[in-house]
Amino acid sequence: MIHMKDIMKTYENGAVALDHVNVDINKGEFVFLVGSSGAGKSTFMKLLFREVVPDSGILTVNGRDVIRMAKSDVPYLRRGLGVIFQDYRLLPDKTVYENIAFAMQVIEAPRRMIQRSVNSVLDIVGLRDKYRCFPNQLSGGEQQRVAIARAIVNNPAIVIADEPTGNLDPETSWGIMDIFQRINSSGTTIVMATHDKTIVDAMQRRVIAIENGRIVRDESHGGYGYED
Amino acid sequence: MKIRTLEYFVREVFLSLKRNNWMSVASVGTVAVSLFIFGMFLMLVLNMNKMAESLESQVQINVYLEEGTTSSEIRSLEAELNDMQGVEKVTFVSKDEAMERFKERLGDQSSILDALDDTNPLPDGFEVMITQPELVETAAKNIEQHKHVESAKYGQDVMEHLFDITRLIRFFGLVLMLFLAGATLFIISNTIRLTVFARRKEIAIMKYVGATDWFIRWPFMMEGMVLGLFGGILANIILRFGYSALVSEIYSALAFFPLIPEQPFLNYISIVVVFGGMAIGAMGSTISLKRFLEV
Ligand SMILES: Nc1ncnc2c1ncn2[C@@H]1O[C@H](COP(=O)(O)OP(=O)(O)OP(=O)(O)O)[C@@H](O)[C@H]1O
Ligand SMILES: [Mg+2]
Repeated sequence: MIHMKDIMKTYENGAVALDHVNVDINKGEFVFLVGSSGAGKSTFMKLLFREVVPDSGILTVNGRDVIRMAKSDVPYLRRGLGVIFQDYRLLPDKTVYENIAFAMQVIEAPRRMIQRSVNSVLDIVGLRDKYRCFPNQLSGGEQQRVAIARAIVNNPAIVIADEPTGNLDPETSWGIMDIFQRINSSGTTIVMATHDKTIVDAMQRRVIAIENGRIVRDESHGGYGYED
Repeated sequence: MKIRTLEYFVREVFLSLKRNNWMSVASVGTVAVSLFIFGMFLMLVLNMNKMAESLESQVQINVYLEEGTTSSEIRSLEAELNDMQGVEKVTFVSKDEAMERFKERLGDQSSILDALDDTNPLPDGFEVMITQPELVETAAKNIEQHKHVESAKYGQDVMEHLFDITRLIRFFGLVLMLFLAGATLFIISNTIRLTVFARRKEIAIMKYVGATDWFIRWPFMMEGMVLGLFGGILANIILRFGYSALVSEIYSALAFFPLIPEQPFLNYISIVVVFGGMAIGAMGSTISLKRFLEV
């Protein structure tokens, strides 16, 4: 599903973000990416949807060679991935429904399918009755659930979430994790970067720890492992 | 392209036009002014070319005689001219006839001749028809060598001057048009830049969810083309009315002036102007997308 071999990434300013990274992630896995600030977690995530291209190494995602792929193939790589950010990134002048449907419109999905899929993901994230609200009428947790709905509406094989609970209180965060668990149990691979010790410790899933761009720990059922 | 995609694009384009309202108006205005001036120069140059062509094909030489040439001298000169090589026909035009014709050509405006107080400054002369256009120049030179001949004029004489003027107009037209094209591209690309900026969040999300480059680019291209199209249509309307008015004005005043007839000339001009507008709009968008849209 995700295969990284000897990945190196140094930014133009000389910052070494990833240093000889080797990782394999299989279908249906739930992976936490942990590490202190500046360790390289976001860079790791960005490689997967080719926002950042590694300097060297081998990287395949969903069977696609991400490093050598043509620029025109990048959209098709991304259609197989659902990306979620800490700051939700919803469009303020579109309703909940429109924000989610937007992700299907721009890849030219058939209109009938759009309606069916949007309603179904609204059920999954529990926002069916708020579909006509605008983002500024929603709480942070609700906005993040809209973002999750948008990320999964095109049935991606992998969901990539960079600190999705970073702006949320513990209780709301658990609501989000609950949704991720359900998505994961239906077979979707989840890769999530987080600083949330409680969540990682409680869930006992695979944990990959990065420090200074190197993988320092990779446990299939681990905890957060830091004392902060 | 799928119908609903087109629908989506059209909606986006009109939202942007509305959002950038006065920039859109400024863009359409600039395109219209530029294309109007372009169209004017085009019409002018084409008309002058036509005039030059019609003069070029003329095989007539107007011979003007010196004041006080006697009728017997005129008759012997007529015979000499008739014997010249390449001369098809020689017709005598007396100064009175010349005046009559001039009056006719002036039509409504013949009253300006009242200032002459019935004196007639026109000389006696001949109209000499030459068999082939190529022979006109040498024939005219030969005729001027004859005794009693004041001058021998032919269309190509005028044509030389016309060519000079046309060349000048072309040059200034080109300089002006380059300048206007630059200004137009500048304002269109800036309008599109505003749209790119207003929609940057949307663009980012489109990229994350896997919209293709052309899907992201098309609405901007279309916006530029619509701006150009509106400008082109506006310029076209003014040009059509302007030319029609000019043609009818000139026909009533100076009937002998050979303007290109409105149809189908104006239709060609319309096509050039409207498509020119769209092309310049598309170019403006392309510039803007190259510089401001990282996809
Ligand atoms: N666009 C960039 N240009 C230059 N350097 C960058 C860029 N993005 C990240 N870096 C550097 O690369 C390193 C890794 O950054 P990254 O964002 O991957 O860390 P992170 O683990 O996500 O941190 P955080 O937990 O704070 O989000 C850091 O030293 C950072 O300064
Ligand atoms: Mg980060």
